[in-house]
Amino acid sequence: MNTLKRYWWLILLAAIAVYPVIGKPSPYRSGLLIFAGIYIILAVGLDLLMGYTGQISVGHAAFFAVGAYTSGILTAKYGFSPSAAMGVGVVFSATLAFLTGRPVLALKEYYLAMATLAFNEIVVTLIIGFEGLTGGASGLRDIPPFTIFGFSLLNHLHYYYFVWTVVVLVIASALAVVRSPFGRALIAIHSDEQAARSFGVNCAKYKTRAYMLAAVYASIAGSLFAHYMGFIAPDDFGILTSINLLVMLFLGGIGTIFGPALGALFLKLLPEITYQFQDYELLINGIILIVVLVFFPRGLFGIFTALRNKIVPRMGK
Amino acid sequence: MEKNGHILTISGVTKTFDGVRALDDVSFSIRSGDIKALIGPNGAGKTTLLNAVSGLNPPTNGSVLLEGRDVVGLRTDQIASLGMSRTFQLIRLFTINNATVLDNVLLGAHMHLKPTLFGTIFLRRKIKRQEREITQKAMDLLKLVGLEKDAHAFPGELSFGNQRLLELARALMTDPKMLLLDEPASGLNDTEVEEFTRLLMTIKQQGITILIVEHNMKLVMNIADDIVVLDFGRKLAEGPPSAICANPDVIQAYLGVQSTECGVPL
Repeated sequence: MNTLKRYWWLILLAAIAVYPVIGKPSPYRSGLLIFAGIYIILAVGLDLLMGYTGQISVGHAAFFAVGAYTSGILTAKYGFSPSAAMGVGVVFSATLAFLTGRPVLALKEYYLAMATLAFNEIVVTLIIGFEGLTGGASGLRDIPPFTIFGFSLLNHLHYYYFVWTVVVLVIASALAVVRSPFGRALIAIHSDEQAARSFGVNCAKYKTRAYMLAAVYASIAGSLFAHYMGFIAPDDFGILTSINLLVMLFLGGIGTIFGPALGALFLKLLPEITYQFQDYELLINGIILIVVLVFFPRGLFGIFTALRNKIVPRMGK
Repeated sequence: MEKNGHILTISGVTKTFDGVRALDDVSFSIRSGDIKALIGPNGAGKTTLLNAVSGLNPPTNGSVLLEGRDVVGLRTDQIASLGMSRTFQLIRLFTINNATVLDNVLLGAHMHLKPTLFGTIFLRRKIKRQEREITQKAMDLLKLVGLEKDAHAFPGELSFGNQRLLELARALMTDPKMLLLDEPASGLNDTEVEEFTRLLMTIKQQGITILIVEHNMKLVMNIADDIVVLDFGRKLAEGPPSAICANPDVIQAYLGVQSTECGVPL
C-alpha cells in the first residue's frame, strides 16, 4: 500500500496519457486541457518563489508575457523556428529576472508586492508602446504553430501531449529543487532570513535563483501559449492573470508543488461545470473558492492528502 | 590562530544605536580551543557583541579578527562560511513547509554544499549521494545531543530545552572552528544544565572554540577558561574565573555580595 502512496502520481500520469485515446475529446476539450497545462507550469514556478522561498509576486504574468512575445515576434516577424524562439525567450527571461531580482527581492512584504505589481504593469505598458514590434494593444497575429524537428504540432492532440510532457518535466524539476539542499536553503530563507544567513545562505543569491527559475517556467508557458493561440494581446498578460495565479496557489495549497498544479487544473476546468448556471456562473465560481479557502485552508491538495491518508493506512512518520 | 594562539581578536569594537553606545571600545581575544564566557547585567551589550562578531549587526567601529582576518564588513553568510557558527537567545529554528528536526540540522551543511540550481536539476545522483552522507552526519549529531528519536518530528513539537539542543546540533553541522552561544542554558532545569555542561565539554574536546553568553554562573564557573565582564557596553573585567569572582567591581556590578555560585569548586 505504501507503494500506492508514493507513486499515486503515476496513476494521474496514465490518466493524462490515455484520456485522449479513451475520451476522444473535441478540439475544444483538448484545448481546455492545454490551457490548464500552461497554467500549471506558471503556478508551479510561482509556488517555488512564493510557497517555498516566501517571496510574494503579484506580477508573475510579466514573464509569461516575455516568453509569449519573444516567441511570437521572433517566429512571426523574423522567421525563427518556434523551438529556437522559445530558447531565446528562456534566456531573455532568465536574464531579466537576474537583473531585476536583486533590487526587487531586497524588498519585503507589501513593498515587494507593489514592486512586482509595477513590474507587470511596466512590461504590459512597454508591449503596448512598442506597437511596431508587438502589434500594440490590438495584439500580435500570425504566430505559427509549434514545430519540433520539422514536425508541426498543428493537431490539437499532438500539442496536448507536447504541453503535458513539458508539464511533467516542470513538475519533476520543481520537485527535484524543493527536495534538495537547494530547496532547504529556500525554506530557511522563508522561515527566517537572518538565521539562514547565519548558516551561510547567501539570501540575495538564492532568492534571485528561485526568481529566475520561476521566470524560466513562465517564459516556457508563454511560448507554449503563443504558438497555440496564434494570436496574443496584452490583455492575456495583465495583473488579472497574475492575480488568477495567486488564486490557483492558495486554492490548490501553497508550498506543495502539487497543490498549485491542482489549483490551476481546477480553476481552468471549473467553468466547464459552472457554465450551465449561465448568469450565475461567476457567482458559483466565487462561492466554490470561498468555501474551499474557508473550510480547507490547506487547499485542494490538503483535502486530497487527507483523503489519501484515510484510504491508505498511515505509514510510520 | 597561529599568531599568539588566538582564534578571535576583538579590538576597539563600538556599536552605537541612534547615539546610544551599546558597545564602547570593547577589546579582548580568545585562545584557540578555549571556552570564553561573556557575562554581565541585562542590557550590558552581550548579544550586541555576538551580533557584531557574527555580522548580523556589524559594529560601528573596531575590528574583529577571525584567524587573523578582519571580518567586519563581510556579509553574515560569508563570516559563517569562514567557520563561525552560532545559536540564538530566542530560538530561531526553521519551521516553514513542514521542515523537520532533521531538515534543520541538514541546513547546517549548506555552506559546505553550496548547491547550485544546475546541479540540483541535472546532477541528481551526485545530490543523492551527498544527501546520504550529510544525513548520516546529521543523525550522528542528533545522537550526540540526544535527539535522534525526534529526527522526523517538527521543531515545534520539541520541548524548549530540546529546541536549544537542536540549535546546537545545527550549529555543529557547519563544522565550526568557533561557536557563539547566546544564553544556551536559559530555560533549562538543573538536570538539563548538567547534561548541557557535559555536552559543551565534549564539544571543547573536539577542538572547537566557544564564546558563550550565559547568566547561569554555576555553568559559567564550571566550564569557562576565561571570562569577560561587560557593563554598560564597556569591558569591566577580564580574567580566569577565580579572579573574576574576587573582583570587587564585578561583585558590585553583577555578581552581588551574596554570590554563592562562585563558591563552586573550580
